[in-house]
Amino acid sequence: MCGIAGLLFKNSDYHSGLGRSLIDMLDGCQHRGPDSTGFALYGPSQRGRLVLRFLVGEGRGAEKAISRIRSVLSEQQARIDEEYNVGGHFRVKVSVDHDIRAFSYAMEQAAQVFSIGESLEIIKDVGGAHDVDALYRVHEFEGTHGLGHVRLATESDVKPEAAHPFWATGFSDVAIVHNGQITNYWKMRRRLERRDFEFRTDNDSELIAVYLAEKLSEGVSLDEALETSIQDLDGTFSFLVSTMDEIGYAKDKLAAKPMIMYETENLVAIASEEVSLNRLFPGRALDTHEPPPGTYATWRRDNRPVGPNRRAA
Amino acid sequence: MPRGAEIIDRLAPIAELPSVFYEAFPMALIDLKETPVREANELIRQYGAVGEDVEIVNPDARHHLGVGLTEEISVRIRGSAGYFCAGLTDGAYFEVDNNVGWGVGDNIYRGTVVVRGNAGAIPGVAIRGAEIIIHGNMGSRAGQVMKSGTLCCAGNANFMAGYMMYGGRIIILGDSGENVGEDMSAGDIYVAGKLLSVGSDAVQVDVLPSELDSIMEFLDRYELKAKRGDFKKVNNAGKKLRYGKTEQQVRSIPFHTFSGKCDYWGPKVQEDVWVKSQIGRYRIRGYGGARTLPHLSDLAFRSDLSTIGDDPHVVSKVSMNTRIGGKHGANPLDLSMPVLIAPMSYGALSRSTKQAIGIASSLSGIAENTGEGGMSDAQRDAADQLIFQCLGGRLGWNIHDMKRANALEIYISQGAKPGFGGQLMAKKVTKELAEIRGIPEGIDLRSPSRHPDILGADDLVIKVQEFREATGYRLPISIKLGAGRIHDDIKIALKDGFDFVELDGMQGSTGAGGAEVMEYVGIPTISAIVGALDGLAEIDCAGEIQIVLMGGLRDGIDAVKALCLGADAVAFGTSAIIAGGCIACMQCHVGQCVTGIATQDPDHEKRYNVSVEARNIHRFLEVVRWQIAAITNALGYKNVTSLCRDDLVALTPEAAEITRLAYEPGYRDSDRNFSESVGLG
Ligand SMILES: Cc1cc2nc3c(=O)[nH]c(=O)nc-3n(C[C@H](O)[C@H](O)[C@H](O)COP(=O)(O)O)c2cc1C
Repeated sequence: MCGIAGLLFKNSDYHSGLGRSLIDMLDGCQHRGPDSTGFALYGPSQRGRLVLRFLVGEGRGAEKAISRIRSVLSEQQARIDEEYNVGGHFRVKVSVDHDIRAFSYAMEQAAQVFSIGESLEIIKDVGGAHDVDALYRVHEFEGTHGLGHVRLATESDVKPEAAHPFWATGFSDVAIVHNGQITNYWKMRRRLERRDFEFRTDNDSELIAVYLAEKLSEGVSLDEALETSIQDLDGTFSFLVSTMDEIGYAKDKLAAKPMIMYETENLVAIASEEVSLNRLFPGRALDTHEPPPGTYATWRRDNRPVGPNRRAA
Repeated sequence: MPRGAEIIDRLAPIAELPSVFYEAFPMALIDLKETPVREANELIRQYGAVGEDVEIVNPDARHHLGVGLTEEISVRIRGSAGYFCAGLTDGAYFEVDNNVGWGVGDNIYRGTVVVRGNAGAIPGVAIRGAEIIIHGNMGSRAGQVMKSGTLCCAGNANFMAGYMMYGGRIIILGDSGENVGEDMSAGDIYVAGKLLSVGSDAVQVDVLPSELDSIMEFLDRYELKAKRGDFKKVNNAGKKLRYGKTEQQVRSIPFHTFSGKCDYWGPKVQEDVWVKSQIGRYRIRGYGGARTLPHLSDLAFRSDLSTIGDDPHVVSKVSMNTRIGGKHGANPLDLSMPVLIAPMSYGALSRSTKQAIGIASSLSGIAENTGEGGMSDAQRDAADQLIFQCLGGRLGWNIHDMKRANALEIYISQGAKPGFGGQLMAKKVTKELAEIRGIPEGIDLRSPSRHPDILGADDLVIKVQEFREATGYRLPISIKLGAGRIHDDIKIALKDGFDFVELDGMQGSTGAGGAEVMEYVGIPTISAIVGALDGLAEIDCAGEIQIVLMGGLRDGIDAVKALCLGADAVAFGTSAIIAGGCIACMQCHVGQCVTGIATQDPDHEKRYNVSVEARNIHRFLEVVRWQIAAITNALGYKNVTSLCRDDLVALTPEAAEITRLAYEPGYRDSDRNFSESVGLG
């Protein structure tokens, strides 16, 4: 129950407008979900250095969580290069050369992990886009691409950890935002659990993230992973996925959830509603395009064309 | 281009502007960079009232532009519009320079919309006579539940064009998308490009020369081109419009026997097996579920109420006035007691019955509800306060009746058959009824179970806003929910900005529904109210949305128990029609109701005496009033809002478990005595 947004700058390296643009896009569709807002942002990366973002809460609880994080990091022989604590979040940058899955499952023991990646940072909390920005200064974020999400909480509570985007638990730099409902959730989840993947929530969006990341880890391209997702996932969905270099979308065969996109030589912007796209270009009549049902597409930030929306076979 | 019209102060009352302005600047300008949509829509209506055309700049794909306009002016939108552009209008001309979002032209009666760019999903949804022209491509489910008029797309259409359409025509100059005409009942779909596939119960047929003439004339008028010879046509295939076999009339088993304690092979089971062996499908019947389920009658009042009959003036001593729906600033319903009439459709019920119920509601100072299928003049005149219900088929839904309603209601589901739409068997789909609803005569109408434009809470919020914009934020908007996952659904109702909830449990009745669904789907009414209140409490929003509880409430005693459990008001369906002469034979669906209540047959309806039955229903409602007052007074309160859970105990373990009230079977005897002294039976 929500609105989604995605933005990728195809050419430039690190665009200073990334955070600001996503805030505008989400503010434009905040009516779709006033309860919480979140961002998945891709900034500069360095090999072997991971950014970890945790939910630690406030006060004494936060102190305890942070000291737990520090001790698990040292157990894992990860060197802390930078750290700070803002709002209910704790962000650390570490040097580590481990298998990322084992490492992140270990970190989960210390505190709730929002994201782990060389480039990815997930920032999410209750409230609107401007509330979240005021606390976490999203507008200052420079980067190449990112996703955003506004949520109307229906079943689970209004809590920061229930907000989107979802990180693909155990996989570096993969994030997802999703509008809709996966009806074969438990079947798919059990299938993945039998292969030792862990889930942190009962949210169907996390499932999509892990599903795709698992395919990617097997060496499948994002494009191919999206193609099979349309066959494998039942229900209504419009979702956006991002990796270190790409963003992509997939749309269910019933076209039950809205999605609209705008592409130029320099950028691709995708959102639930055109009103979000127009926030980037006020006063302009945009040549937008609604992806047909049952299609998917991906874009890379080095501007290598991957191809426009194709239909899943 | 701005034409100097900026000079006109956009907030100045129009009537006060010197007429010279109109001659010099014939088009008023509204800049959405500075004017919020709500204000812009007010302005458009004001300009409409003086016959002035409007130009909108910087629209930036905002939703609800121009909704509710019923004047014949033209509105030019210089850019893209969002959802429901030109929706709920009658007579206007809209032109959009770029794209539109979902539901362009929603429910237009007459009028024209020209879109120069692309349209999102469900363009032309539920139109009743408009001409909608889209120069680019259009999204999925174009023309869903449209009734008449023309939807024309010069580009390609998408998935399921003409889904569930009831009439009118769709002209697609490009390719069609898949499943064209899925479950259409009537109307014509023409495709000049590739016809990808036809949907369920749709078929490709030959195009007649006269139809081609008409199409070419239409295209000429809008300066569009296509080759005459390219058109293919899709129509309804006629396989699903009627049930294959109608159910024989059986000697009806009276409800009290039917619902009585039944052994394994009771008369009910036997009849069911036999009828199914004849018709080969599920059965449809009227009335409600007949299984024994936990009910308000499993609760009793904790206090000794033996003095209850003593005070003849008790009604004047208890404050019962209740206002419903004012939460967001709309004019609330003003009820003389916390009671409403449940939504019951004109269609399931005869016009005379709706009229009698309307009159009775006015005499008793409460509110009536149209149910599905539109509002008749007779009904509007009869009821002082009338809620207008909007269902997925948009049958009889229109801006004019919205404006003359006292509240609007979005039906999501009802307790008797959660997840299903209305059903009206062919016998009741008469010419007159079909006309009001905008559907073909004589079909077994299975109304859609979903709204075209409500596929989630995120869409719903935009729909609610459309209704508010169209009616100038004057009317309360409610949501009718058949309880299932009410614990979560109530939160959506709250967050999506409804003013109140009409909450229905599985003991509610229906004019026609699948028997299995009625008996086995849903949750009891007492579970519904407890679940709803728990859901609100969980998000710290107790008391933030009013709840009208219904579903198997029989009289004022049940009403008071519902109020004690936490409902703000209650609604009666079945007991109101019984008061007005219903004999509970459960054959409502057949259409030959001997009392003239559940019928559209004039010969049967003749038996119904409106003024006599209106009096009877009113008299019953006054007894309800007395019961509520007497019990409230006997419990020691002066106001119905003081009633609370502490006044109740549970007589059965199940009811105690559901309500978390104390299990006190010892109250059973006093309850029986009490019910006999103030009850109806
Ligand atoms: C003849 C008849 C027609 C009905 N039509 C509608 C309708 O159009 N819309 C609706 O929301 N509920 C409809 N209902 C259901 C009632 O609004 C309500 O849920 C139910 O009757 C309440 O329970 P009660 O009959 O036990 O009082 C209908 C019920 C009956 C008996």
